[in-house]
Amino acid sequence: MERQHNLHSSIHGSFRSKDSSSTVESDPREKIKDCLRKFIAFMFTQVGVGALVVCYAILGAASFMHIEKDSPDEQLENVIQWRQNCVEQLWNITNKYNVLNYTAWMSNSNKVLKDFQNNVTSAIHLGYNGRSSEDIWSFPAALMYSLSVFTMIGYGNVVPKTVWGKIVTIAYACFGIPIYVLYFCNMGKVLAKTFKWLYITAHECSRREDPLLEDGEIQPIKKKITVPSTACLWVISFYILTGTIMFGAWEKWNYLDSTYFCVISLCKIGFGDFVPGANIADSAEGSHLKLVINFIYVLLGMGLVAMCYNLMCEDVRVKVRELREDLKNCLDDITLKITVCMNDTKYYHQRQTRNIK
Amino acid sequence: MPRRRRRLGSRVRNYVRGLLAFLFSNVGVVVLVVAYTIAGAFMFQAIEGASEMERVNNMSRERDNTAQYLWQNVTLTLNLFNETALKESISKELQHYQRKIVVAVRRGWDGGRSSRQWSFSSSFLYSLTVITTIGYGHLSPRTSWGKIMTIFYALLGMPLFLLYLSNVGELLASWFKCIYALVCLCRGCPGFSRRRVVHLRPQLEISDAESIERPPGWRSGYTDSDVTPEYRIPSRPPDYFQRRAYLRSVSMPQPYLPRPRPDVRGWSEPVYRDSSDTSDFSYVTFDAQTITVPISVCVAIMVGYLMFGSMIFGLWEKWDKLDGAYFCFISLSSIGFGDFVPGERVYTPRIETSFIVCSLYLMLGMALVAMCFNLMQEQVIHYYAGLKRALKRICRCKR
Repeated sequence: MERQHNLHSSIHGSFRSKDSSSTVESDPREKIKDCLRKFIAFMFTQVGVGALVVCYAILGAASFMHIEKDSPDEQLENVIQWRQNCVEQLWNITNKYNVLNYTAWMSNSNKVLKDFQNNVTSAIHLGYNGRSSEDIWSFPAALMYSLSVFTMIGYGNVVPKTVWGKIVTIAYACFGIPIYVLYFCNMGKVLAKTFKWLYITAHECSRREDPLLEDGEIQPIKKKITVPSTACLWVISFYILTGTIMFGAWEKWNYLDSTYFCVISLCKIGFGDFVPGANIADSAEGSHLKLVINFIYVLLGMGLVAMCYNLMCEDVRVKVRELREDLKNCLDDITLKITVCMNDTKYYHQRQTRNIK
Repeated sequence: MPRRRRRLGSRVRNYVRGLLAFLFSNVGVVVLVVAYTIAGAFMFQAIEGASEMERVNNMSRERDNTAQYLWQNVTLTLNLFNETALKESISKELQHYQRKIVVAVRRGWDGGRSSRQWSFSSSFLYSLTVITTIGYGHLSPRTSWGKIMTIFYALLGMPLFLLYLSNVGELLASWFKCIYALVCLCRGCPGFSRRRVVHLRPQLEISDAESIERPPGWRSGYTDSDVTPEYRIPSRPPDYFQRRAYLRSVSMPQPYLPRPRPDVRGWSEPVYRDSSDTSDFSYVTFDAQTITVPISVCVAIMVGYLMFGSMIFGLWEKWDKLDGAYFCFISLSSIGFGDFVPGERVYTPRIETSFIVCSLYLMLGMALVAMCFNLMQEQVIHYYAGLKRALKRICRCKR
């Protein structure tokens, strides 16, 4: 990992050196070439990768919608069949025991209802959702589905039912996950750089107000500033708070539920017990916008998590190095003391023996 | 004589130290992950198990309510002779009831079939899905304490599992490299390596001559390292080569022991001398660290593990082959839709074991995938360096 990092930094270094040399030479053709090269590099690094991810998600959404939309849903038919059976049985019961026999009617109808209930629960375990596949596979839902595939969240509120859907999902994940990882790394690096720059400027501004260092008599040691992990945690918790309030207001979840949803999504666990716009009792119209906004929220949040991961890695590395140095110093100290002690005792013994003599 | 004894003592001490490091780095992490998962299982069982009975009772009350409603509103008010109207109203009521069932099942009600949803093994699988970020969602916490604890459990558990993955992945990668070197490349076979050495002898002299051009840092780096690569001493008989190669590839490289200079013998050696040459003298050192396993082998391993899983789950859960492979893929890529979960459809006493088998499969599979990614990363970096060199040469770009 570290080696890869080195490699990347070396590439960046080469880019930077190129820039400096071009400014020195100031040949117009070279300049234009450099500009073009920089533009291409930029396209490939940040905006390009972001656009690639979005395009890939849209492509996946369209293809999944096309595949899954007209899949025959046998569970839906089964449930309708069961319900009709149940109605028939209830009618028979009502015919058989008259209005007068309350207890017999009650026990029998209860049995029928229990059968019906068991059938429905087994159907739900087989993927029955209460909605037909055309309702489920709207475009925003398909977009959310493809996002949940390649970000490895996997909400599971919408799943493919056809054979082709499953195969395409596997292939889609195989290509999508590397693209997503690329996005994750890039976004993390860019955001980390920006955040670090912001932090350092803020830091320096606050320091300049300090009158002691203003004298310039003793130049403060240029120490490499690393963003402390608490700052990262603040950023993340602020983002989660935003999400909590937003989803809480829209979905009428309480704050615990909506915090839970945000954390579970950003950690890529994705249980799928809370998904915005996927409420069964909800009508389908309002949910589309919510799904799109959830898409943006998750994608941005992943970038932010990557940033924090990047910064915290650096911070931890620096801290570990410091700790190691401290430990080494400590150990050296102890060994020195021990050797001094040992020498002393040796000396003492020697003197003792000499005294005895 | 005393000198020899001291050497033996130091050797023993080294062995002990190595063993301790091994325990702390690999076995320790595995034990930690398992212990953390078991603790989580107990915790979630305690938190969620209490509220479970309440939900079951709730649902039976709901059914009673529906029957009552049917009796009062339908049977009593409507006439017995009006069949169509009666059926229609019953159907409407049933539809209402069905929607209630769907919502209840989504909220985690199980249909009242398995008596306890949060048994120990299913809680174990639940905590594993939290820390591996799979998140099937076939079980999810319903109480507010369960949700809070899940958040904290995940925040603490995920770094732990990442540590497990990186450690075990690296360990498995080094073992696999050894096996690969022994079996596939036949580095251990005496005849082959002798032939190889004879074949490589002419190249060595070239590389020695070339070594002047190498960057000074690299050169000084390896001259004072105590492990001199074999091509520096070509005067030894080939038997010597063979013995050392065999010994080194058999002894397991332990990644957490302090190694004299890992970047000299490491796999990224080609990166350091990208400007100088194209000769493949990196193959002369028979170290397991310099061997890169081709990507195709890694992919084959992953596909093989997937097929193995699909076969096992196909036998166990009676899924067909595609569903099994789909389940394994979705699980191992940590997507985890949760539409297929072992022990979800077949309500038998085997549920407990099937959860445990699934957890074992997942833990091993994650480590295996990490291993494959470890190996593939090396290979990709190797290719990438080569590609960069070639591109630079084509474009005649000096930078």
